[in-house]
This record gives sequence, structure tokens and C-alpha cells, in this order.
Amino acid sequence: MTDEKTWVLQAQQGSDEAFTQLVETYQKPVYNLCYRMLGEPELAEDAAQETFLRAYQGLHRYDTSRPFGTWILSIAAHYCIDTLRRKKFALFSMDAETDDGATFEMPDASALDPETESVRREQRDRLHLFLKKLETTDRAAVILRYWYDFSEVEIANALNLTVSAVKSRLHRARRALAGMWQEEPAPARPERRAYETPAF
Amino acid sequence: MKHQPFEEWLLNETPLSHAQKRELDLHVRSCAYCSALLQTEKILRSAKMAAPAEGFSARFQARLAERRLADHRRRLRGVFLFLLAGTFFLFWLAAPSLLALFASPQAWIAEMVKWGIFFVTTLQAVMQAGTVLLRVVADFLPPFAWLILISAFAGFSLIWSISLWRFTRVSQGV
Repeated sequence: MTDEKTWVLQAQQGSDEAFTQLVETYQKPVYNLCYRMLGEPELAEDAAQETFLRAYQGLHRYDTSRPFGTWILSIAAHYCIDTLRRKKFALFSMDAETDDGATFEMPDASALDPETESVRREQRDRLHLFLKKLETTDRAAVILRYWYDFSEVEIANALNLTVSAVKSRLHRARRALAGMWQEEPAPARPERRAYETPAF
Repeated sequence: MKHQPFEEWLLNETPLSHAQKRELDLHVRSCAYCSALLQTEKILRSAKMAAPAEGFSARFQARLAERRLADHRRRLRGVFLFLLAGTFFLFWLAAPSLLALFASPQAWIAEMVKWGIFFVTTLQAVMQAGTVLLRVVADFLPPFAWLILISAFAGFSLIWSISLWRFTRVSQGV
């Protein structure tokens, strides 16, 4: 039996330590999903905490034949979709892309080419801004597909959709993202002359 | 070649042969939409995982403790309100008798005797009626009907006990 299954069984019998192990293991994937869905570190933290509370309270209903990761991400996705629907709130400031939830990140100086890294970062930020314009369930499907490598069947299970609905939602979202990518031009980067120092 | 198959390849993430990859590459150079489709997919695939600030599980433990305390308080409040309502209801029912206590002893002794006689005579009447009914029904019903009745009664008792157990069971931690 894997560690995870042991923790789940122990948590189902009331062990707080075992559930803490599960929290430690899944905090990053759950937080990331909430962050990509809600766009604000504070909201993501709150949603991730609420996800674990709901999982804790509903652990006796968890079917151990399903992967725990899929189950908890499904709770997180539903919670975020409900939150967004309830609040009609789709703020998605993706200027924060750091691993610690900070809102500013310097280009990685240790990368082979910091300028290329910086361009990639800008592209990611731009795409993430477009992501916020997608319908909430489409957004959840895209996040599960590309951040978690979920198959269409897994996404369907997590979001309570049919596989064909997932497929069509993913296609629609990808088309919409490509359309926005084409229509909205990237912000112009100031050109630096060869002899100029980066400080200017 | 038309635009459609390339879009389908990109959207379905179809595994491509070398020749198909070359065709797609040529098409993407001339088609801005498919180029955007390809580029957005690459960016999505290279996206990073965001992590929570340090001490997430400690904050979770604190939140869990808060939630437990709130649940405990809510349960206590519910029990208190239930008891209060029950006490009020009992007082309301017993008010006439309680008032009688404040009357002269003669009046409430007479009242008690009256209730006592009523209780005893009612009990006797019910027992007599029950005995007669049992005698009549015993002659009237065949043995298998008794078996069915007793089994049904046992079944209902079992369901009732299980329901009580399930509703009163407090989840242990989870």
C-alpha cells in the first residue's frame, strides 16, 4: 500500500497527522489550481484552505479506488467555479508568477539567456491575462489539462462533465486563446542600444 | 492543403509523422491563426506551478481548530435552545397544574385524587380492551399472519434503531 493510501485510511479513522501529510503533499497543486482560477494569492490561499477543510469533512465519502489527487483537485475546481459564479468576479492579475505568491519577479539572471527568459515570462503573463476571459468551466478544463496533464476522462470526472463536453470545451478555449493572441498585440518592448547599460 | 486538418491536428494534439510535421511547419509559417494556436499551446505547456507561502499546513491546522470550535459552539447553542424550548413547552403544558399548587391544599389534593382515579380506571379499561382484542384477533388471525406481523415489527424496529444510530453518530475527525 502506498504512503498516500495509508494516510487516507488513517485520516478516515480520525488521524490529524495523516491528514496533515496529505495537506503537505497536495498544498502546491491545490493552491496552484486556485491561483490560476481566481488570480489573487489571497483568494487562492483562502480557496485552497477551504478545499482542504471540505476534503477533511467529506473524507468519509471519498472513494479510495479513485486517486486522491483527482478528488481533491475536483473539490478545488468546483469551489473556485462556485466562487467565481457567486461573485461574478473574474479578476486574474497574472503579474504574479512566482512560486511564493509574490507579485513581482526579476528575470532569472542565472538562466542561459535572461532576455529570452524575460520574453517568455511576458508571453506567459499575456496568455494568463487572456485565460481570465474564458468561461470559468473552460478555464478549469484548460488548467487541469495543461498544468496537471489530466486526460479528458480525468477532467470529465473532476468537473462532472461528459468526455465529449470536455473535448469541445478544450477546443473552444484553445480557439479563443489563439484568437485573442492574434487580435491583441504584445506590448512593445523598449529597445536597448548595444552600448547602453541595462540600468537605462 | 486546406487549413482545417492542421487546426484539428493542433487541437487534438494528434501524434504526427515526420512528413506531417513538415507540412504543419510549412503551414504554420503562412497561417497566423495556426501559429497562434501552436504558440499558446507551447506557453501553456511551459507554465509554472504557483506555490503557497510558507506555513500553509500550519495555517490549515489553525483554521481547522477554529472551525471545530465554531462547530462545537453551534452544537452547544442548538442543544441549549432545544432545552430552553422544551422547558418552556413543558411549563406551558404544566401551567394549569402548577397554578393549582398555589391554590388551597384541599383543591389540589382533590385534583390529584381525581387524576389518580382517572389514570387507574383508564389503565384498567385499556387492559381489558386489549385482552378482549387479543382474544378476538388470536382466534381470527391464522398463525402465518402472526409470523408476518411479528417479522414486520422486528424489521421496523431494526430500521428505526439503525436510523437512530446513524443520525446520532458524530463523525470522528473526518
